Amino acid sequence: MLHVELTIQGLINGSMYALMAVGLTLVYGLLRILHVAHAGLYTLGAYIAVLIANATGSLALGAAVAIPVVGLAGMIVYRLLYEPILHRPPYVALIASIGLFIVMEESYRLIFGPYGETFNAPYLAERVSVGPIGAKAAEVAMVAGAIVLLGVLAFLSKRTRFGIAWRATVTDPAMARAFGVDTIAVRYANFFIASALAASAAVLVAVLNNLVEPTMGSVPSYKTLAIIVLGGLGNVAGTLVAALALGVIEAFGTIYIGHLLDRDAIAFLFLVLVLMIRPQGLFAAR
Amino acid sequence: MLRLEAMSCGYGGMRAVEALDLDVNAGEIVALVGSNGAGKSSTLMATAGHVALQGGRILFDGADISRASPMARVAAGIALSPEGRRLFRDLSVRENLIVGGYVRDAAHQPGNMDTVLDLFPRLKERFESLAGTLSGGEQQMVAIGRALMSEPRLVLIDEVSLGLMPKMVDVCYRAIQALKARGLAVLLVEQSTARAFAVADRVVVLESGRAVWRGSAAEARGNSAVIDAYLGVAKVEGAA
Ligand SMILES: Nc1ncnc2c1ncn2[C@@H]1O[C@H](COP(=O)(O)OP(=O)(O)OP(=O)(O)O)[C@@H](O)[C@H]1O
Ligand SMILES: [Mg+2]
Repeated sequence: MLHVELTIQGLINGSMYALMAVGLTLVYGLLRILHVAHAGLYTLGAYIAVLIANATGSLALGAAVAIPVVGLAGMIVYRLLYEPILHRPPYVALIASIGLFIVMEESYRLIFGPYGETFNAPYLAERVSVGPIGAKAAEVAMVAGAIVLLGVLAFLSKRTRFGIAWRATVTDPAMARAFGVDTIAVRYANFFIASALAASAAVLVAVLNNLVEPTMGSVPSYKTLAIIVLGGLGNVAGTLVAALALGVIEAFGTIYIGHLLDRDAIAFLFLVLVLMIRPQGLFAAR
Repeated sequence: MLRLEAMSCGYGGMRAVEALDLDVNAGEIVALVGSNGAGKSSTLMATAGHVALQGGRILFDGADISRASPMARVAAGIALSPEGRRLFRDLSVRENLIVGGYVRDAAHQPGNMDTVLDLFPRLKERFESLAGTLSGGEQQMVAIGRALMSEPRLVLIDEVSLGLMPKMVDVCYRAIQALKARGLAVLLVEQSTARAFAVADRVVVLESGRAVWRGSAAEARGNSAVIDAYLGVAKVEGAA
């Protein structure tokens, strides 16, 4: 029973990682940028949602505003930060991204204060159970949200003309452009979708913890980098598996070696071990 | 249909093709042959808009397209099956074809796809396979099929037979003959002179970026010794 519960707990966390990391790997696949500021956009999504929910009493409204606004913010980050330096070596964009992330975290601290915001009335706090297995409603929402959103993403990318053109652009941008694909539009769409996924994860995490704070993106920022390396940089399916695997391994690790290492240390121990055995990650890079 | 007028192109300061004059008419197959580095691929790439023009003009249906973007040229009716084929390896055959027809209205897609599958029935079996997993011959079919999805009137095909099994080469050339029969213009690069002389209407021999011999395929067959001398010992004989 313990193992079932641990696995479930791991999949819940893994769903959150997946929503975050898929966006990151999409950006990497298209532009070869390690988009650290992704986690800053994630935090932005949580703040927008909690402030609107508290002002209006509607979490749905908060989420409905936060997700597209953060999507747009991602497009703006691409336009203002990355596009001007795309022709430079990749570490330039990485440094710029880390810089933006720090600026964002500090701005949240200055604007919203260091202690964080909570919802006036906690949402989805009740427990739901199926037989002997129980979870918080917010945890169920996390898993369901990840399945639905990533399902929609899979549908878009496999079944629509634009989605196919998007994947063609990832494979060979010059050829895709030659065949008439608007590769600039693909980049904007990529940032919109990646950022909207991050905001969705953030809203769910905010509800789950009933807390939004300036530094809530810190741990996800480096953990999702570890995940996309494990998943084979740019490989979306690999990233999904790596995210869920990391969630489960953390859940088991906290119980069995939690007296030696904390959860984040376990995640990185796992990363180091995997990379020692398979330097290319669990899956091949795209 | 296509006219290159004293066309020069190259890479940065380096010149790959020098003042080339070339016509390709509707319903005609023109073969470019030449040794490694002669400028064959550069000629096709410049025509498709991927290599910078350094002099002269490119006319298509009488209109000067020298400055047009690659996409505008596809829209005008020029399609390229490039050197190395450059398929979208992580996409299926079906998806490669869809991208090939991206400049055309989505409503044309099913009809164009049927045309390609009629030309290359073998692709029906591999329709959902990833392009990167196909054999060389199948990849060549996808590359030509992808080009045809844009409803071109001129098709540029690089390295038709290079590295392919003879049976596959036959399939590809039968398809190219069918395109000609439909009135398309075809400009192709062929490593095997025997193949080139057998299918082409006219042959142009390039050497160090210049046209050094041109004539009908029949004349080429009669002068194969001369042409082979131009191609020199560096000549790469594809699967003939
Ligand atoms: N991307 C490039 N950058 C710089 N120079 C290039 C490039 N591509 C080709 N060249 C040069 O341009 C000249 C013509 O090359 P091109 O590829 O057109 O020859 P080719 O006739 O197609 O040869 P092959 O039979 O080997 O395919 C060569 O000297 C080659 O080295
Ligand atoms: Mg070549």
